[in-house]
Amino acid sequence: MMRLRTPLAWFNLTYERRRLVTALAGVAFAVLLMFMFRGFENALFDSQVQLLKLLNGEVVMVNRLKYSMFIPEQFARRRLYQAQAFAGVEDAYAFYITNANWKNPETQAVRPLRVLAFNPDDPVLPLPEILAHRDQLKLPWTVMIDERSRPEVGPTTAGLETELAETRVRLVGAYALGTDFAAGDGNVVMSDQNFLRLFSSLGPDEDSRDLNTVDIGLLRLSDDANPVAVVDALRQALPQDISIYTKDEFVAVELTYWRENTAIGFVFTLLTTMSFAVGVILVYQILYTDVSDHWKEYATLKAMGYTNFYLLKVVLQQALILGVLGFVPGYFISLVLYRLTANATGLLIQMTLERGLNLLIATVIMCLISGAIAVRKVQTTDPAEVFGS
Amino acid sequence: MTTTPAPSSIPALPDEAIAVRIRNLNYFFGQGELRKQVLFDINLDLPKGEIVIMTGPSGSGKTTLLTLIGALRTVPDGSLKVLGRDIVGMGRSQLVDVRRNIGFIFQAHNLFDSLSAAQNVEMAVELAPNWREKRRQAVAILTQLGLSDRVDYKPKALSGGQKQRVAIARALVNQPPLILADEPTAALDKKSGRDVVTLMQQLAKSEGRTILMVTHDNRILDVADRIVTMVDGRLDSDENLGHFVDTHDPKTLDRRMFIL
Repeated sequence: MMRLRTPLAWFNLTYERRRLVTALAGVAFAVLLMFMFRGFENALFDSQVQLLKLLNGEVVMVNRLKYSMFIPEQFARRRLYQAQAFAGVEDAYAFYITNANWKNPETQAVRPLRVLAFNPDDPVLPLPEILAHRDQLKLPWTVMIDERSRPEVGPTTAGLETELAETRVRLVGAYALGTDFAAGDGNVVMSDQNFLRLFSSLGPDEDSRDLNTVDIGLLRLSDDANPVAVVDALRQALPQDISIYTKDEFVAVELTYWRENTAIGFVFTLLTTMSFAVGVILVYQILYTDVSDHWKEYATLKAMGYTNFYLLKVVLQQALILGVLGFVPGYFISLVLYRLTANATGLLIQMTLERGLNLLIATVIMCLISGAIAVRKVQTTDPAEVFGS
Repeated sequence: MTTTPAPSSIPALPDEAIAVRIRNLNYFFGQGELRKQVLFDINLDLPKGEIVIMTGPSGSGKTTLLTLIGALRTVPDGSLKVLGRDIVGMGRSQLVDVRRNIGFIFQAHNLFDSLSAAQNVEMAVELAPNWREKRRQAVAILTQLGLSDRVDYKPKALSGGQKQRVAIARALVNQPPLILADEPTAALDKKSGRDVVTLMQQLAKSEGRTILMVTHDNRILDVADRIVTMVDGRLDSDENLGHFVDTHDPKTLDRRMFIL
């Protein structure tokens, strides 16, 4: 202990407990704001691609016109069969998507849901609940519902009977997925055969569906196949009416659509920047008060022979301590609020190590900026002024 | 008014025996139209080991001169040698270097409330190249100043006299050859003021320090070897203690105080 320099920054900061607590609450609040806005932004983007990430297949095939999951364009199923002939392609699955009205079994209110259909024998959407209910899904007029759908969808207990697309269906189970912008109020899963039963003969105003046109084609590759090479080969050989992506590309295309064609990114970046600015101002206020309260002592240090650089270090250390100590409560409160938000909205709002670290760095930068502004007060202090006053 | 030159100073002493040598020093505040001269052609020598008290009315430039000697301002003009280095024209970082050899004592104690007495003193020790024994040094000097039982007290728990003694300990701990004090007794009662000054006198005498003290406090003039009076930015008189007392008998002194 004798061999360390006096940690002046720490002593000054912790001397007045009440002021320290107020300061930390301020920093924590700014951190919380940044976490919430970043969290919402990421949640909106993450939610858009959570279904795509779950789909089982290394290569994805869609209609060339389908640039977003919103677009109801299909391609001919025979493209999938053609793709199966290529080296490295083990299996090909068809994934059907349509929208249909769901009647809430309790309130009888009708809500639009997205219907996802596939052959239950294939591991297309390998969620444990779906795999467990494969046999029931094969029965006629059965569906599974997402228990994380919007509450308007109503109860999700197995055995309930209700109407989907004005046809009586039976709920055989529930799984957990979550909603996104393209899904309406939730997702309902059924077998391709039931898809045919429900949507092959709609009224004259609607486009009936059959199994010959596919919304998303999924290719499972053998373990030694290189997805990029397979995609290249398929792109060259197959007709131009389809787009072929690796799964990562497919997810990226969807994300790019949401980032570039909506205001989500801009709005939330603006909000996060504003929280950052609020944090800078708060911390500046705290540090400036400390510096002005102690300017005589700091000026005395300068008279004694301490350099401006030393004082800069003291103030920046205080800023750093505030940043790191304030981050911790901000982080934990954000975790709680993330949980509450996820439960309330069904959005996929998650904390990852990377996002936590990014905001920790942002918080530290925030405090250092404040420190650098506040320190100018000490830097310009004239030690001669301590005399005679 | 006495203008008798001091018996000791102006005849040239060798440089080694001089702590501060000032020649033809002028100093101005402000710029352009507002430029105002505050010091006029100051010539002053402070020999090593002397205690010099500087008095004079408020606004006469005492504190300005003190800050110039203390290397707290850049000096544009004249010649000002402090501890053998001419600080005229020095840059800020060189001035900082000079200051490290000077002990400053202020009217207010200017201690950090968040640091204990010893830690406040240690802040000064850390400026010295050899600071690893800082705690021992701080405790030693505080003991010397009669604060051995207050070493770990925060300033809030100390009396005014004790705080000023901590401030003195901070100024003296690095054994600076030159000590500059600005009204060190102004905030203290009679007894603490006396104690503080006596302590400074003992330390100066036993270790050969030079002390320049600005004060209005007539009660402590007796510790000085010399008394310098400033009026309106000029050195008005420079005399030894006996001479000062002779020429400033109470009546004259009182009248002077009314006039100013």
